[in-house]
Amino acid sequence: MAEFGELTLGGISVGMIYAAIGLSLVLIWRATRILNYAQGGMAMLTTYIALTVINHTGSYWAGFAAALAAGLVLGAVIERVVIRPVESKPPLNAIVVTIGLLILIEGLAGIIFGGQYRSFPAAFSITGLHIGSAALGISSNDVFVTVAVLIAALLLAAGFRYTRAGLRLRAAAFSPQVSRLLGVRVGRTLTLGWALAGLIGALAGVLISPSIFLYPNSMDAIFVLGFTAAVIGGLDSPGGAVAGGLILGVALNYVSGYLGSDLVPLFGLAALTVVLMLRPSGLFSTAPARRV
Amino acid sequence: MSEAAALEGTGPAALEVTGLAAGYGRVLALHGVGLRVPAGSVTAVLGANGAGKTTLLRAISGVLRPQAGRVLIDGDDVTGRHPEDMARLGVAHVPEGQGVIAELTVEENLRLGALWRRGHGPRKQALDQAYQRFGVLAGARRRAAGTLSGGERQMLVIARALMAQPRVLLLDEPSLGLAPRIVAQVMQLTAELRDAGLAVLLVEQNARSALSIADQGIVLNLGKVVAAADAATLAADVGLRQHYLGF
Repeated sequence: MAEFGELTLGGISVGMIYAAIGLSLVLIWRATRILNYAQGGMAMLTTYIALTVINHTGSYWAGFAAALAAGLVLGAVIERVVIRPVESKPPLNAIVVTIGLLILIEGLAGIIFGGQYRSFPAAFSITGLHIGSAALGISSNDVFVTVAVLIAALLLAAGFRYTRAGLRLRAAAFSPQVSRLLGVRVGRTLTLGWALAGLIGALAGVLISPSIFLYPNSMDAIFVLGFTAAVIGGLDSPGGAVAGGLILGVALNYVSGYLGSDLVPLFGLAALTVVLMLRPSGLFSTAPARRV
Repeated sequence: MSEAAALEGTGPAALEVTGLAAGYGRVLALHGVGLRVPAGSVTAVLGANGAGKTTLLRAISGVLRPQAGRVLIDGDDVTGRHPEDMARLGVAHVPEGQGVIAELTVEENLRLGALWRRGHGPRKQALDQAYQRFGVLAGARRRAAGTLSGGERQMLVIARALMAQPRVLLLDEPSLGLAPRIVAQVMQLTAELRDAGLAVLLVEQNARSALSIADQGIVLNLGKVVAAADAATLAADVGLRQHYLGF
């Protein structure tokens, strides 16, 4: 029973990472109906930027801030330069472009930073926390990861709900034509959506890298699980992506704890396949099923 | 007003269109259409399905880029400007059918109409005015716009267009799918807006109710103006009614 509790708590913290990646994918999907296969690669790149800044300044928080800022800029620049020309084209064009972008970013990272595995520092202690003599299965850093993603998700939700930019983002996502007639500059709104997605992705990269090492392909597996989280939530729903990430994180941690960690990727992919087969519009969606 | 006066007039009208041609790809749906809508008047645009009525509104508001001709607002050439700029220039285009954003609340839909305006004061004032004029919306402000009835939705899209304090209002088939009692309300509202000084271009299949409030009208057929006159003259023209207007 104690083990079950440990696995649950540990699953929540890693699930929040999937949630963050899922959230960044949902932001882009809602705004542009594009699935950004380069999201993991972008997060990897911003994490290298964080590592470089940390090595130069000696300050974790300077690196943390640099990653978030870089994610914001990278998202905006990619939308403007690479995505804008394919936005009005058939969906396949955008898929090919984002996959190409992923290969480009990973190649560039290999050239600039080298292919070797690097350790990335954690913000807080990674030794397990205890209550009395009972191990909780999580560290101070896991708590930080959970809280950081939670805060980011809540800020995002509040921003969408209560700010004028948030209203523009939602309106442009639901009905770009009507929004334009009402004076919304939809192009700028899409750039903002991608920038926010870049920021959330960068956050996920910095938070997960202490536990997986950093290398040019380091975010590939995380991206797949983040995508699974988003699909569980319906791809359209920010709240669904967070819930999907938590469900996936906890479920996969049980798999890891009871059956062996080798099986985690297998079960992750199985979860993705099953959800796409049985509930392609997501567990929480009431919308009609859609081809993905 | 004679036909010539309706089309030419003197001094800049709120909305003036000359020789407008537009279409989809290489297919032109509009061939050299001209019209004038002075402030404080309603011009009805009549004609069968496929006559080019909706295309005309789209070419004016910038949704479609005109391939020839000019669009003037208060005498200023605004041809080919993007719709988001046209909204700022005082042109409100209420598209046909589902113009409400169903997922947003009634209040969010309304706020969207004035989001580009500077200053919290004017935006708040526009919202208060909308609720004052449309009591039914005030009672539903937190509801998702998708839950409104057809008549309420039509009120919402017009109220939302007014949030920008436009000078020119382009209404596309506001009576579509509405009960006769609601159609009468919409026409009444359109007349009130005209009396408040708006230039209204009213596209309608329902020629009878459109002509009941219009000052002038034009009849389109296959993208060309086949008749332009004051509303009473059009309504009295038996041949025109039988050929194009269906009443």
